[in-house]
Amino acid sequence: MITIFKDKYDIPKDMEYVELNDLFFNQNTVLLIDERAEKIIEAIDNTKLLGKYKICSRFNEVALDIDRLSAGCKTVLNVMYYPEKVFCMKECGDNALEVLYGLDRGYVCSEYAMIPFDMDDVEVQEKSGKRIIHDYEELKEWWQDEK
Amino acid sequence: MKKFSTIHSSFIVDFTFQNNITILMGDSGTGKTAAFSFIRECMAINPQILCLNYLDYQKNIKGILSETEGKLIVIDNADILLNDETRKYISLDDKNQYLIIGRNPKNLFATKENLYELVSEKIGEQTKFTLKSYL
Repeated sequence: MITIFKDKYDIPKDMEYVELNDLFFNQNTVLLIDERAEKIIEAIDNTKLLGKYKICSRFNEVALDIDRLSAGCKTVLNVMYYPEKVFCMKECGDNALEVLYGLDRGYVCSEYAMIPFDMDDVEVQEKSGKRIIHDYEELKEWWQDEK
Repeated sequence: MKKFSTIHSSFIVDFTFQNNITILMGDSGTGKTAAFSFIRECMAINPQILCLNYLDYQKNIKGILSETEGKLIVIDNADILLNDETRKYISLDDKNQYLIIGRNPKNLFATKENLYELVSEKIGEQTKFTLKSYL
């Protein structure tokens, strides 16, 4: 399950926080893209991976550089390929959040609630410790609690 | 500027703005950033357009906005680019038209009338992008 921070100052000093998911993807994650990315790209951006650096446009079916993936899709891929880093999740739409919450592991951060309607268990982490949250309302309440 | 339209190869952008601030939200991968790139292209010949995105991350966005008048200001990656102070400035700015691509309406004093999503429609071999009320 993924781990969520609601304050970037809760992130341990030895973990890197990435806010610009577009840039990080274009410079780093792109080099790691393999078949694991195919389902994620199809599920979120409704497009096909044509090769390591090419996708098929959902609009006119032309081949595009992989840098044209949505910021939400790039965020999910960043989290999947770099599970030891913390990524800003604020640019994820509901469709990207659903996939993000289903990842086996990874770290994300947002100061405000970003919850898909159909959510899996998540771990939340603050300076005071970690705990697992099982449902939407409980997670929303955690996000709304005073820091 | 109440309307904006442009063509980029097989894409048509045809936006009508009902408010001073339009917040463009919705699922990932619907074409919001593609539409942004088509509008940004128009900056080359249209001085009434100002586009900002994550490439402007290190700039003083509020400073840029406060020196701008009478423009269509389009901001992609707004959820990481706009801090609270800039959002408050935008909410009170009646000198510019804003199209904000993001999901967080905080401090923009937005109502449901400000929230829109992108609609893409196939017309032959062309794809037309328009705005539709989000709620």
